[in-house]
Amino acid sequence: MNTPVVWTYVIYLMISVALTVWVARTLFKNGRVFLVDTFAGNEALADSVNQLLVVGFYLINIGYVTLALKYGDKPGDVQQVFEALSTKIGWVLLTLGGMHFFNLFVFSKMRRRALLSSAPPPVLPQGFLSGKPGVV
Amino acid sequence: MKALTVLYDPTCAFCRRSVGWLSGQPAFLHLSFVPNNAPDLEARFEGVSKLGPFDDVVVIGDDGAVYRGPDAFIMCLYALRQYREWALRLARPALLPFARRAFELLSENRASLSRLLHWGGDKELGGLFEHDRGCRPGAAATCRQGG
Repeated sequence: MNTPVVWTYVIYLMISVALTVWVARTLFKNGRVFLVDTFAGNEALADSVNQLLVVGFYLINIGYVTLALKYGDKPGDVQQVFEALSTKIGWVLLTLGGMHFFNLFVFSKMRRRALLSSAPPPVLPQGFLSGKPGVV
Repeated sequence: MKALTVLYDPTCAFCRRSVGWLSGQPAFLHLSFVPNNAPDLEARFEGVSKLGPFDDVVVIGDDGAVYRGPDAFIMCLYALRQYREWALRLARPALLPFARRAFELLSENRASLSRLLHWGGDKELGGLFEHDRGCRPGAAATCRQGG
């Protein structure tokens, strides 16, 4: 058994999964307010969507972490263990960052769409009729 | 605001096409279409005759607000589910002058545009509007409304 490689894998998995859990929990905790506002105060729906988004987030990130496990240089000594770890964890961090911003984008898009239905007219009227128009 | 009435020129092919398109779109607001030469226009919209000759599209809100020309185009987009975002975007100060100019150009060239696209000229369409989908003079169309 190639001990440095196995240690790299163990540390990589521990750090990556911990990072994924931390980001997912942050998203879950702070995204809720956004979603409640998006769904006009419907907390049950907001919680449900929030939960579903976090599940998707976990699946994609842990899926990436496990897929990327065997790729990259195989370390032979301690120095190479750190190098390999930093490269692998760097990619995980970038993926998490990308996913995080994608989630924010989805949140804000949902919110913007929800607010559209109550948006006031974008231009001012040139005038008003003397009598209100009849029901047509 | 819950409803908009669009007063359109029934003798213009471009306007009729636009009405047909608008009425098929899912909308946030209830949209009605009335030809601007309807005989009972003043009875239905008190004070509308004071607006002068209708040389352009006019949109009237259920609160009596009147929008004319380019702003009426923007209000039509604002009424639609899929285009409200565009209406809000076009109405931003940076884009509004360009949007107004573009809609003015569209409006000024509506006859030539209709000819170019073989939508028929004014002559052919003179009597056709009576057969439009419920958009007959004197009977405003109740067109599709989204939830």
